[in-house]
Parts: sequence; C-alpha cells; structure tokens
Amino acid sequence: MLLIVIILTFLLLESASGDAVDAYLLSIGGGDAIVAKSLRQSYGLDQSMLARLWLYFTSLAKLDLGWSVAFGRPVLDLILERLPNTLLLMGSATALSFGLGSALGIVAGAKPESIRDRTLSAVSLILYAIPSFWLGLVLSIVFAVQLRWLPTSGIETIASGKVGLARAADIARHLVLPVGTLALIYMALFIRVMRAGMAEAWQLDFVLFARSKGLSRTRIVLRHVARNALLPLVTMLGLQSAAMIGGSVVIESIFAIPGFGRLAQEAVSGRDAPLLMGIIVVSAVLVICVNLVVDLVYTALDPRVGASENRA
Amino acid sequence: MTIAHLSRRTLLQAGAALAASTALPTFAHAQAATAGGRLIVAADSEPKNLNPAIVASNGVFFIASKVVETLAEASFSGKDGLSPRLATSWEGSADGKSVTFKLREGVKWHDGKPFTSADVAFSALKIWKPLQNLGRLVFANLEDVETPDDTTAIFKFSKPTPLQLIRNALPVVSSVVPKHVYEGSDINASPANVKLIGTGPFKFTEYKPGEYYRLTRNADYWNKGEPKLDEVIFRVLPDRAGAGAALEAEEIQLAAFSAVPLTDLSRISKVPGIKVISKGYEALTYQLVIEINHRRKELADVKVRQAIAHAIDKKFVVDTIFLGYAAASTGPVPKNAPEFYDPTVPTYAFDVAKANALLDEAGYKKGADGKRFALKLRPAPYFNETKQFGDYLRQALSAVGIDAQLVNADAAAHQKAVYTDHDFDLAIGPPVFRGDPAISTTILVQSGIPDGVPFSNQGGYASKELDDVIAKAAVTVDTAARTDLYKQFQKLVATDLPLINVAEWGFISVARDTVVNVSNNPRWAVSNWSDTTLKS
Amino acid sequence: MRWLRNVAGTPEGAIGLGILLLLGLIALFAPILSPGDPLRIAGQPLLAPFTDPSFPLGTDRLGRDVLAGILHGTRTSLAVGIAAALAAIAIGLCIGLTAGLAGGLVDEALMRVVDAFQIVPSFLLALAFVSVIGASVPVVVVAIALGAWADPARLTRAQVLSIRERDYVASARVIGMHPAEIAFRQILPNALPPVLALSAIIVAAAILTEAALSFLGLGDPNVVTWGSMIAEGRNILRSSPSLSIFPGIALVITVIGVYLFSEGLNKVLAGRRGRV
Repeated sequence: MLLIVIILTFLLLESASGDAVDAYLLSIGGGDAIVAKSLRQSYGLDQSMLARLWLYFTSLAKLDLGWSVAFGRPVLDLILERLPNTLLLMGSATALSFGLGSALGIVAGAKPESIRDRTLSAVSLILYAIPSFWLGLVLSIVFAVQLRWLPTSGIETIASGKVGLARAADIARHLVLPVGTLALIYMALFIRVMRAGMAEAWQLDFVLFARSKGLSRTRIVLRHVARNALLPLVTMLGLQSAAMIGGSVVIESIFAIPGFGRLAQEAVSGRDAPLLMGIIVVSAVLVICVNLVVDLVYTALDPRVGASENRA
Repeated sequence: MTIAHLSRRTLLQAGAALAASTALPTFAHAQAATAGGRLIVAADSEPKNLNPAIVASNGVFFIASKVVETLAEASFSGKDGLSPRLATSWEGSADGKSVTFKLREGVKWHDGKPFTSADVAFSALKIWKPLQNLGRLVFANLEDVETPDDTTAIFKFSKPTPLQLIRNALPVVSSVVPKHVYEGSDINASPANVKLIGTGPFKFTEYKPGEYYRLTRNADYWNKGEPKLDEVIFRVLPDRAGAGAALEAEEIQLAAFSAVPLTDLSRISKVPGIKVISKGYEALTYQLVIEINHRRKELADVKVRQAIAHAIDKKFVVDTIFLGYAAASTGPVPKNAPEFYDPTVPTYAFDVAKANALLDEAGYKKGADGKRFALKLRPAPYFNETKQFGDYLRQALSAVGIDAQLVNADAAAHQKAVYTDHDFDLAIGPPVFRGDPAISTTILVQSGIPDGVPFSNQGGYASKELDDVIAKAAVTVDTAARTDLYKQFQKLVATDLPLINVAEWGFISVARDTVVNVSNNPRWAVSNWSDTTLKS
Repeated sequence: MRWLRNVAGTPEGAIGLGILLLLGLIALFAPILSPGDPLRIAGQPLLAPFTDPSFPLGTDRLGRDVLAGILHGTRTSLAVGIAAALAAIAIGLCIGLTAGLAGGLVDEALMRVVDAFQIVPSFLLALAFVSVIGASVPVVVVAIALGAWADPARLTRAQVLSIRERDYVASARVIGMHPAEIAFRQILPNALPPVLALSAIIVAAAILTEAALSFLGLGDPNVVTWGSMIAEGRNILRSSPSLSIFPGIALVITVIGVYLFSEGLNKVLAGRRGRV
C-alpha cells in the first residue's frame, strides 16, 4: 500500500514541468547552463528515473528517507522538526471540534426537528460552507489586529527565551486562532454526523424499549441515544484524519506556522521529490496509526462491534 | 477604534507591573529590555543558501547583507553613486586590464580573525568568478588577484574590462567571505553558507526554519558607534496578508519589498504610527516586460510587435495595477539609471486604432468572430502585479483582435516552460535592472544564449546589429564611449522590439514610525542597516 | 424521476432542490443575464457596491464587474463541482463494482490501491497534481476527482458485496443470466443510490477545494470562479471586504443547497431501505 503511494508520488513528480534545479535557479534570480548541469549532477538528477526510484527504495528499507534537494538537509530531520507543530495543531483542533461537535450534536439530536435542532443545523451548514482561508483571515483581523487579544501569527513569540510553563502558555495563545478556525469548520461536520446518528438511534429497538419503560428523557438521551450515535462519529474521525492533514496546508500558511502542510507546499514548489515522498509516506503512516487508535476506541465504546457492523 | 488602541497601548507601556504579562506585545518587551532595541522585520521567503558571495539575489541580500559586506555599497550622494565599505578606494588602469582596490584596515571577521586582501582574492577567484550567478559574467575575464600587501588587491583581467561595469556591479557581486572558513572545503556545501561569518555590523546568531532568522550586534564592528540596533530579527510570514496584520498589531516594525500588498497601502498609511516609504529601491528597479517568442510566425513580424505595444495602456498599468507606485517604461534601461537612460527612443502611445491598422497591414485580418489569431500568454507567477498584468494584457489584446489564452503555472513550471522548452508565445517577466546594462539587461535580447538560462533571451530573437553593439560595449573601457553604445542599444531595442518594456517599479517599505534611518540609500532594503535605530 | 419528487417531498430536499435549480438557471442564462466576457475591464476600478446602477455589486481591482463575475462564476464553479463529482463517482463505481464482483486477488489488489488513495491527504494530492501539471479547469477537475474517488469505490464494493448475496441476484444467476448483465441490470441499480448520496458531498467539497487551490494561486486565469474572486479579493479584504464577501456568499449558498439536497436524498433512501 505504501509502495503504491510512493510510486504514484514519484511518477507524478517525474511528469512535472520543471525540476528542483529550475526551482532553485529561479530562487537565486538566474544562472547559466553550466551551473544548471553541475547542479543536476550533484542532485543525482542526471541519472535515469528507474535508478533513482530503486535508490530511494533501498534507502527507505534502511529507514532512511533521503536527502532534501531544496533544503540541503536530511528529509527525516525536516519532517521531525515540523511534525510536532502540526500534530499539536491538528490534535487540539480535532479534540476541540470533536468535543464541541458531539456536545452540540447531542443538544441538537436530543429533540430532532425542534427549533434548537434546526438552528444548530443551519449554523453548522454555513460554517461547513465557508472556505477555511477566509474564516482564518477574518478571525485574525478581528481578534489579532482590531481587538489585539491574540497574536496574528507564528507558533510562539520569537526568540522570547521563555521556558517551561511560560512557553507552553505562549504557544497556547498563538494556537488559539488557527485551532479555532480549523475546529469551527470540522465541528460543523461532527455536529451533523452526531445529529444524524442520534436521529437514527431514536428509532432503535432498545431506545423505544427504554422509553416505554418510562426512563427520564435526559437519561435516555445520554445513556442510550448519544452513546450509540458516538460510534459513527468515531469512525468518521479516522476517515477525516487524512483530510485534516491536507487542510492544514492553508491554515499553516495563513498563520505562519512552521508545520507539515507548509513543508509539503514548499516541497511541491521546490520540486523536491525526496521531501514530498517523505511527507506523503509519513502522513500515510500517521493516518494508519490514527485509524488503529480509532479501531481500539471503537471496540471500547461498543461492546457489540459485530452487531453494529451492519449499519456501517 | 483607533483611540481605544492608543489608550490601550499607552497603558501597557506605562504599567511596569504588566511587563510580565504574556499579553504584552513583543515589541514593548524588547524596548524595555535593551537600549538599542530589537527590530523585527517581515521576510516572505527562506533562501536555502544564504551566502551572498554565491547567490547574488535580493532575497539573500535582504538578510545576508547585514552580516557579510561588499567592497562598496550604493549611495545617493557618494562619488560614482557608491559609498566605500570594505574597500576605501578603487582605480582602473588605462588599458582596462587591471583594477586596484585599497582595503579598509582594522576590520575583523566575526570569529575574531583579521580581514585581509587574501580574503578578497579568495572570494573573487574561488567564488565570484566560478560560482556566483552574476559574478560569472562580470568577472568572466578575471585572471588573477594580486595581493602585494594586506590592504591592497589588484584585479587582473585577460581582456579589457570597463571600470564603469565593475563599479556599477560592486554593490551586487562583491560580497567578501572569509578564506579561512571556506578554504579546502566544498564551498557549495559549506555549513557557513547558512551560518554566515562576515565582517558586517550584525552577527548571524540563530535560524529557526519556518520561524525566524536572528542577527545580533557585532560589538567589534569597524565603524565605531555602529550598529545602533541590538538585534535584527527576520520573521518568516509566508502569507501576503500576514505582514500588514503583524505591523498593525505591532508584532513587527518593518515590512520591505512590498510585503504589504500595494492594494493595502492607502488604507495602512492612514493607520496611526505607520509610515509608507517608496524611497530606498532606486538601484533595485524591476521591469515589467513582455517576452516574445519570435519563433511564432506572427510575432516575428515587427508590425505585430508594434501593434501589441500600441495596444497597451501604460497609464492604466501604472495607475491601476501598480496604483501609481511605478513608472511607464520607454525602453530596456529604466529612468532610475540616469547614467545610461536615453529618453529619445521611439515610443508607442496607447492607440487601439493604430494597433488594428498595423495588424491589418501585417496581413492578419480579423476573422468573422473578430479574432485575428490566438496566442499562449504566460504571466510569471512571482508577483501579484505580473499576474494582474496578465489579466489586463489578455483584455487589451482582445480589443485588437488577438485571442490570448492565459497559462497559469507555478514558478518552477513557468521557468521550465519559458526558458527551457520555449512553450510560450508571449510571457510576462519581471527582470531586474542591476545598475549596469551589462549585468542582467543585455542578456534579455542578445542571441546565442543556451536553453535553460532564466531571465535571458529565450524567444529566439537574433539581430546582428544589436549583438555587435552589445559585444563592442563589453570591451569598451572609455566610460563616455561605453555609455554611448548603451544609448544605441536602447534605441535598437525600442525600434525593433525584441521584447516590450511596459513599466518599471521599485518596492515599497512600510514601517512603524519608531524605526529611524529607513531608506537612506538606493539599495536600502539590501544594505547593512548599521545606522538604523528604534526610538521609543 | 420519482426519486426526485420524493426528495422534493422532504423539507431539506425541497429547499436544496430549489437553490440548485435557481443556480442551474443562473449558470445556464449567465451569458444572457450579463453578456460578454466577465473578465472584461468594464469600468472604474474598486467601485463600491450599490453605488453605480450599471455595476450593482461594484467592480474589482482592475475594474471588472463583480456581478458579472458571480453570475459567470456560477457556471464554472458548478461545472467544476459536478464534473469532479461525476468523474469521482464514475471511477469509484467501476473500481468498486469490479472489486466487489471479481473478489479474490483482483479485489485485494484494487482495494490496496483504494487504501493508498485514502491515506494520502486529498488536498495535498490535488495541490501537488495541479502545481506540477499546470492550472487549468480540466486539470483542477481531475485533481479533485483523484482525491475523491476512493470513498465511492469503497462504498460501491460494500454495496455489491451485500447485494450479491440477495435472493434476486441468486435467482438471476440460477436462470443463467450473463455475469456482466447481472452486474449492470441487477446489482448496479441497487448499489447506486447511496453512492449518489455521497456525490452531493463530493460536489460541495470540490467547489471548496477549487476555492482553496485558487487561494494558493493555482486557479485557471481564463475563467472566473468564485474561488478565484475570493482569493483575489482577500488582498483587499480590509479596504474592500465586499469583493470577497459576495462570491463567498454565493459559495456558501451553493454548498448549502447541495448539502440540503443530499440530506433530502439520504432521507428518501433511508425510507426506502426501511421498506426493503
């Protein structure tokens, strides 16, 4: 599976117009044909495509992700440097949107078709339809430039010399806006799935049974309906993890966060094949890990995994 | 809104107790902590190789010029438009085959070793000539650098090399790096290409990829009393809206190279505490140029090229696309180079009727659909303005019956398509005029340039007459005669239109009012900032 | 067409269908509502909205009519969304059908490819694809479809697997129907509806993806899309917010329309499944 991913990425970049040397020459404002040739030689770009692909696989087998052409550094170093920022960003955004989304989804789904339900549905739809970059820019103008409650961009105050808790607090302040932007958009999705799941769960036999037993509505909502509706939400979390990594590209660029998404963008524009392949391999591994965790959570939440499979 | 801001800021600065609060802007922090202060500047790109001796580009100079110095810097008032840096004087021989530099005494590298003529010789022979993108051209005939003593370097050329060219090129090509650091290693792969060691007013202290570069004060700088600042920080802000927002929020104090988009300038200039400065880029003129592929039969006809020139409303380009922060071009040399500029070249007024007539004359009548022929138009993606001019040019050409299809590509693909594959009919490029036509301007129209050289003549244009003038100027030592040849060069280009010069522009700096001594030389953004200060 | 009437019977579906019909009409009649090239420089640059009756929504940086842009943008944005969704569904159906019916090694191999596409962030894929191939409408459509076909493929396969075991398929097999005929006559029609419900979401996602690509400077400059209008307007977000707000509203309305329609479709399908 990873193999397919790598080969596809490689072929894509191979078919690209312009290579790493073109990108580099441009960034330095020009150079002549001799420079270009010697650069191509030193990057190994003069070798055949298959030779380079083979070289990549053999080094990958040794867990060596190769050497970034554009940055002149090992790919692994670059990725490890950026990954924590993105994980922090995506992790908090996911947690926040999952928490808020499921809570609001419960509120909405507790009484399907009520005014509350309709309002929340409408709001979540609008949030879902707003492009993330636009929301990010507007939030940054309002909260960072006009109200000055929060910093406009960056991951932490530059060269502040802060350590420990003070630094953590500083990073947290910088993350409020990007995390908020992402969370608002993903929250919309979670609300809708949760709500839909709740609406469906109301029809299930054991809920009907619980209602006929005369249990209190709150109890039914929380213990039976919500719990059941949480399952598709968890599944969705796994499915969404790949989309979230992709979505971070735009947000990281707006809020100047040195993360994974921006690295990917730089890899593409610098035609840095080893780096882009490294990024895709690592993000694929990441997605697989998230899905493993999701499966575990799923089992923990639902003692009758087998029974619920029909619905999925 | 503004009043609320001001009062809030005053409160913050007054309240010493608040100094510990994380809510305090960084800027106030820095001022409280140090006397000289910390200047935070927006940077939109992170050059992978920061060594200005190898990579002579503005992106690199922006950061590196504070650390690594050149022999001389551009100046508004100095002799020949230069002010001395590491060289104190320069003199050419009558035959044009040698230039003698007297070097400054008592200069130390950041690692404490003394700076000598050996460093200049090493930089020139091992880096500028063989490795540097522009130096390869300027120093093509450099044979040797003699160092009779520690403060004299004599450049020896195999063929006459005009002193005028060397002089004009000095601010760009002559970054001196330490011999003892680079000698005996692979220069291209040296770690010192990122962690720079120079003689400049600031030392390279820290680089956090994706976040910032940090330069700190060099206490041993040769010019006593400078630098005034304690720190210069280049904060990486990749998004175009980022710099303006960060300036307003007082997170940074300066955004150069038009990091604040032109469209936002009129608004931001009204924000209290912020100034918009268009000075300081006079020697960094960018030109908006239509590159033409002469392999296309229609475009090989000079009448068609003239028609295209007549179809463009330069006033619209200057007023609407550049919002007045540009000037209409007349030819390949900008007005900002008065030494060479020739205003008497043929010009092409905006005249749609004339453009139509010329196209009819050339034999390309309008078809039933009102179209004469179709073209592939590739605007360079590097600037907002080149892209917008692409949108405009498409409309302007359709008004004279030429159907231009825009092709949008990212930087690497654009570069390959235009300069290697020649897969374009018209392209819009932003070449830079670097103080002398021989450095990066004649190459735009000269024939015989191999494929793959960016910002060069890849349109297949060849004119013996023009090539001869360029070749003659390259070896003409006498300044007046050489200048005259470049005036001829301008006339030829403006007459035959191997390419069409539309406009020329410098960049805009936006700074907080607290930043003092901004834009006091014609290459300010890429100069060393040793006299720049912050007032509280 | 009965299903369409059923969808219109649900409140969500009715509103969604209404919005989509209106947009469809606008897209269809854009050249009549606003004749000429919408990218034409028509007037003074940066006219404020509601000030000049000939430019009701004002003009942009170069003096192009914002209303004309939005009307014509309806065409391209919907076309991009629908074309991408159709392509994704078509690929997904083929792969899913083949995998589900063939089973065994073919199934295994195809599903690994599906896995591969599912674990690669689709926006990264689209970004890489468009930057290396070059930005034009067809390329953008293909790029979006490339990232979106895996879900319908997986869903189709699951449907096929469950339908394959149903009685009517078994009986078709017993009476000696050709496997290809079974696939297209018996299985496909029954597997299609849930996949179609997914398509509405893909349309919405495609329109948003196109906008995000335009934001990163990877749109087609020869046509006007809402995404490119928003992307261009955001440089002057502070001084002329209307330039990005109007196309933004159009985008939001469309996505809502598509989404509501799919909700309606889902409801109808759920009802039908309940009956089966």
